[in-house]
Amino acid sequence: MALIFIRTAIIFITLLFVMRLMGKSQIGEMQPFEFVISLVIAELACIPMADTSIPILYGIIAILTIFILHQIVWLFQLWFKPVKNVVSGKPSVVINKNGIDEFQLKKNNLDVSDLIESMRVAGYFNLDDVYYGLYEANGSFSALAKEETASTSLPLILIDRGTPDQKNLTRCGFNDERLNKLLKEQNAKLKEVVVMTVNAEGRAYFQKRGEKYKILQVEVNGEW
Amino acid sequence: MVKSICYTVAAILICIGLFIFADWYLGNQFDEFSAALDSLYTKIENETATREDGYAVRTLWEDKKSKLHILVPHNDISYIDYWLSEACGLLYNEKYDLALGKIEVLREISKNLPDSYSIKFENIF
Repeated sequence: MALIFIRTAIIFITLLFVMRLMGKSQIGEMQPFEFVISLVIAELACIPMADTSIPILYGIIAILTIFILHQIVWLFQLWFKPVKNVVSGKPSVVINKNGIDEFQLKKNNLDVSDLIESMRVAGYFNLDDVYYGLYEANGSFSALAKEETASTSLPLILIDRGTPDQKNLTRCGFNDERLNKLLKEQNAKLKEVVVMTVNAEGRAYFQKRGEKYKILQVEVNGEW
Repeated sequence: MVKSICYTVAAILICIGLFIFADWYLGNQFDEFSAALDSLYTKIENETATREDGYAVRTLWEDKKSKLHILVPHNDISYIDYWLSEACGLLYNEKYDLALGKIEVLREISKNLPDSYSIKFENIF
């Protein structure tokens, strides 16, 4: 019996550790330890139910272990703030006044397209529609919106962390020559560009690594 | 908050109580069964064992196994059932030398089985 308790606790701690390592991209609307519990408890309940060779008491002990661990984690989080940061993580500010914080994105195993998708879900279609954007500890996206929104058309990603999106570049009427010219004007190499998006009105969001973002006006064909 | 702490402490106490009971109960049950097997082994060695002796051990085991099912995986109980039935069959035919081997296996199983549920490094991992 005690063996089941120890084994369940080991699996719980391992899963929690792995979930924290995976970052906010893997969890949604739940604290990491809540996610681990929902992941484990279903299996713990099912296995003794379906496999008649396992005494049902094994399942009950394992579920009871999860309950005890949940309560212990919850109490520790209430009493010791650092424990909460370790177990549940902290909110990550991924957009600040300088633009995208690439380090925070990488830390949470996210990329620019994930961020843009989260922003769209939250109702913001341009990267400069918000002053601040952050991923909460439970993986949900929150933002402090600007009073006026930048545009009325959908922006396309032209460069995502140094990688050009050829399809979008063609759609905007950009070729390699034009792109290189623009990069030269901005004194940036392709690999140094964190992100570049452009909307149908030619309003481009451009951010070079380690620098504040810029809003540029470029010529586009605007057919999207 | 107080209620939650009480529930947690109650759950921990239930678990600890259950662990101690399970450990003691398994040890106790298998000790009794091992003693019966040892006695049967001696009789078989002396070729004085009868089929009634075999059935007596089986009856003892049947009584114990109905409760052990709560604590021991049913597959482990099936192993004992299998070896015990074989031993009883051989005793019925008075094949003592063959029955001795089966009882030896049973003695090993009943000695090692409670250990496989105790807190040991090799059992945890």
